[in-house]
Amino acid sequence: MAEPVVGRPHNRVDGPLKVSGRAAYGADHSYPRLVHGYAVTSTIAHGVIRAMDTSTAERSPGVIAVYTPFNAFTIHPVEGLRAPLQDTAVAHHGQIVALVVAESFEQARAAAFTVEVDYDERRPAVSLAEEEGNARPIPPVMGIPPVVTRLADGVPSITAALADSHITVSAAYTTAPQAHAAMEPYSAVVTWDDGRFTVHNGTQGVGLQVQTLAQALGVTTDDIHAVNPFVGGSFGGKYRPNAEVQLAAAAARALRRPVKVVLTREQSFTGTVIRSGTRQRVSLGAAADGTLTALSHRALAGAVADRESAELSAQRTSLAWYAVPNLEVRQTSVPLNTPDPTIMRAPGEASGSFALESAMDELAVALRMDPVRLRIKNNATVHPYSGLPFSGKHLVECYRLGAERFGWRRRGTRPRSRLDGEWYTGMGMATSVYPGFRNPATVKVGLRADGTALVSCDTADLGTGMWTVLPVVAAHSLGLPVRRVEPRLGDSELSPAGSVGGSCGVVTVGPAIMAAAHNAVAALLSLAVGEPSSPFHGLDPADLRYDSGRVSGPGRSMDFDDLLEAMGRSGVEALGTAAPGDESERYVFDSFGAQFVEVRVNRWTGEIRVSRALGVMDAGRIVNPKTARSQIVGGMIWGISAALHEGLHLDASGHLVNADLANYLIPVNADVPEVDVHFLDHPDTRFNPLGSRGIGELGIVGTAAAVANAVHNATGIRLRELPMTLEHVLAGLD
Amino acid sequence: MSPEPERPPRPARVSRRGFIGRTTAASLGAGALPRPDQATAAAAAAAAAGAPGQPLPGPPGTEVTLRVNGAEHRVGVDNRATLLDTLRERLRITGPKKGCDRGQCGACTVHIDGRTALSCLTLAVAAHEREVTTVEGLADGDVPHPVQRAFIKADAFQCGFCTPGQIMSAVALVEHGPVGSDDAIREFMSGNLCRCAAYPHIVRAVRQAGSTGRKR
Repeated sequence: MAEPVVGRPHNRVDGPLKVSGRAAYGADHSYPRLVHGYAVTSTIAHGVIRAMDTSTAERSPGVIAVYTPFNAFTIHPVEGLRAPLQDTAVAHHGQIVALVVAESFEQARAAAFTVEVDYDERRPAVSLAEEEGNARPIPPVMGIPPVVTRLADGVPSITAALADSHITVSAAYTTAPQAHAAMEPYSAVVTWDDGRFTVHNGTQGVGLQVQTLAQALGVTTDDIHAVNPFVGGSFGGKYRPNAEVQLAAAAARALRRPVKVVLTREQSFTGTVIRSGTRQRVSLGAAADGTLTALSHRALAGAVADRESAELSAQRTSLAWYAVPNLEVRQTSVPLNTPDPTIMRAPGEASGSFALESAMDELAVALRMDPVRLRIKNNATVHPYSGLPFSGKHLVECYRLGAERFGWRRRGTRPRSRLDGEWYTGMGMATSVYPGFRNPATVKVGLRADGTALVSCDTADLGTGMWTVLPVVAAHSLGLPVRRVEPRLGDSELSPAGSVGGSCGVVTVGPAIMAAAHNAVAALLSLAVGEPSSPFHGLDPADLRYDSGRVSGPGRSMDFDDLLEAMGRSGVEALGTAAPGDESERYVFDSFGAQFVEVRVNRWTGEIRVSRALGVMDAGRIVNPKTARSQIVGGMIWGISAALHEGLHLDASGHLVNADLANYLIPVNADVPEVDVHFLDHPDTRFNPLGSRGIGELGIVGTAAAVANAVHNATGIRLRELPMTLEHVLAGLD
Repeated sequence: MSPEPERPPRPARVSRRGFIGRTTAASLGAGALPRPDQATAAAAAAAAAGAPGQPLPGPPGTEVTLRVNGAEHRVGVDNRATLLDTLRERLRITGPKKGCDRGQCGACTVHIDGRTALSCLTLAVAAHEREVTTVEGLADGDVPHPVQRAFIKADAFQCGFCTPGQIMSAVALVEHGPVGSDDAIREFMSGNLCRCAAYPHIVRAVRQAGSTGRKR
């Protein structure tokens, strides 16, 4: 074998396109006779549209059509998706209520501003706090009921277990609703040509996109070709085709012209999907030595109308994280008049870890125990809910290595004991856990007579690095340099590899690449013995060996491109499929990490700055450390952002008052410190043959709690609401 | 990073309403204007419903000369059209990205007469006869700009959507230099949002490009 390429740092193979403006994202596409759709959005949060006056818009220059709930094309309902313009109900502020299509963007926009809507307005349900009384248990998710109670023998209730504990802490935590706010706004370019749609739109999976759109448009999946090799960020928001895609497609068919719909940034905030805010209560009981005796975690999140919620803060953390004999988790939801809550980076873990890991810090303080020691003491060696062992868990190594690398021993044990000028400094830490998901995938690998290889499937690269993972794993499997492997993805005509999401990309696609490479080599060797023009003709395939691009048999050896040329073949290719088996009946495949944060809190202004952050991650074999590091760094900064910046604000009437990038705060460069990442190297082949686990979401889990815990360490002020803003710090600084 | 011109542009040839009708289809894009006889289905429906019949008059247009990446384009534009939309939708130069359309994110950053400008806050008419450089115009033939190379090497992007704007800002810093401390880089680059949060790597890329010399 050549030098292994998996595990070494590789530059992104799509880098040259992305730094030169040549990577074409959805809205970068254009077609002859293309027209522009501009959305009109609701100005109320709840009610019914009584009437709309579109007469001025229809007479406006360049306008081709104005679609409203009163005249629109049919879009069939798809479970879990709102079909736009199909009824007059308004469920949230900023919901798309009309689409104006004109020859130019400027014309469509000007006409859209003239549309008048008359509403029958109703009181909106906006606030989780005010609606808490209407909360109901969620439907079961992946077989887990909304309330899980595990009690030791003879313990009557979780309340009793807490009451009997040597020490208890109990507190309420809230997290703000958030927007995915990918830099690429929600947008779509769709053509309809002779019964066939072509769709360009950022998506986490062209396969699911085609299936969903086929249902919505009442056509077969063969009638839709999705081409989306570049996605300008998604984070869960583009997992399914939102209103703009459905509208662009339906309008393209109705008008027989290509349609481009680019939601404005404000519409991207209001007219699509969000992460729900949460209200949580965590109660912990422990023995004097820190051993957990009871854990109760209750969480409420916003839901779509059928009570389903994506932000399962309690279920997705407390059922899996710590060894505890008495455990109760209660997950409720309440429908709100907000944009539809959906999955967003680490849905459940991101918000749930804030509550659980803050509570663990509160327990450590109450016990006067080091927070790292408390976590090591309660490390779960089997999965608390399922009772299964972990496929590979080196979390204690993460804690120990992280503490050492971060200089944890220099942490002050008394608040306000470290003052640097006018800044209190402090350190905090938290645990990161993210479950391992894996889907079936089929990949094609080809060997070509020009000496290159091809690897393709319909997976997506959201910025995750998949463009580079494909050739790296293929090159590794074929014993070729990465530069000789050409990747293709993001096209629904390629072999199916499923959507990316739940950090499943590499672990889904990687093993299928290995299988396809194996099959391609087998096909090459089979040809070599079967083709009369082959120098290996007539040999037993078992006598041939493929290694690093060369085929060897008794007495001779040649490069595969020379062999293909000798046989008069342009190439040989094969599909390979890999899928999870029954291993999930034996193991749990979580990824783990420990996060350490240092903050500075201004003693006069209450300003919080994160000055250092370190994540030590146990995620199996890292395929490309360069892009993997970027993902963890990005995830950790997302956690810092959740801690200090991000939150959608709704006023009493349900208006999203900060629906733009100046007022919905995400970090800018000057907000972000040096972020250090270290990966442990423990390949996990129980999970998949590649030995990798997921990393896309791991980095955000726990970070916000680590920041909050550091603020407490610095100042003695415990902040239990995200984002942590300085007025709350000031109130405690007196 | 002011989008305002340092000097007023030479007066563009602003014409009255009839102008666009005289413009060639090639320069405007075929079918870019409604013809009075072009009754749309919607307009027809509105007329049938008794709405006032006549199509409303359109706004004036202007013929401008845009010099983009060294090439000259004469283009008839809607006066409301931004430089960003004109680059993207009319000239098919799609490196500059529309992230917010209101100057909040920096994804549309270009250079106008050598200075950074937000093309979403610049009307196309305000760029008349000025030198516009987009990310597509940075490379010297096949040789990428040092900042482009540094971005790849430092992995200073993930999804890549903000990258054209990041790079245009970084090039301005590197070429006008010195790039200064890491904190100075962070401050200068803070008008360009990156949701993937590649910020530490962007700082590294700018530092590296700054230290290898301003000129390619």
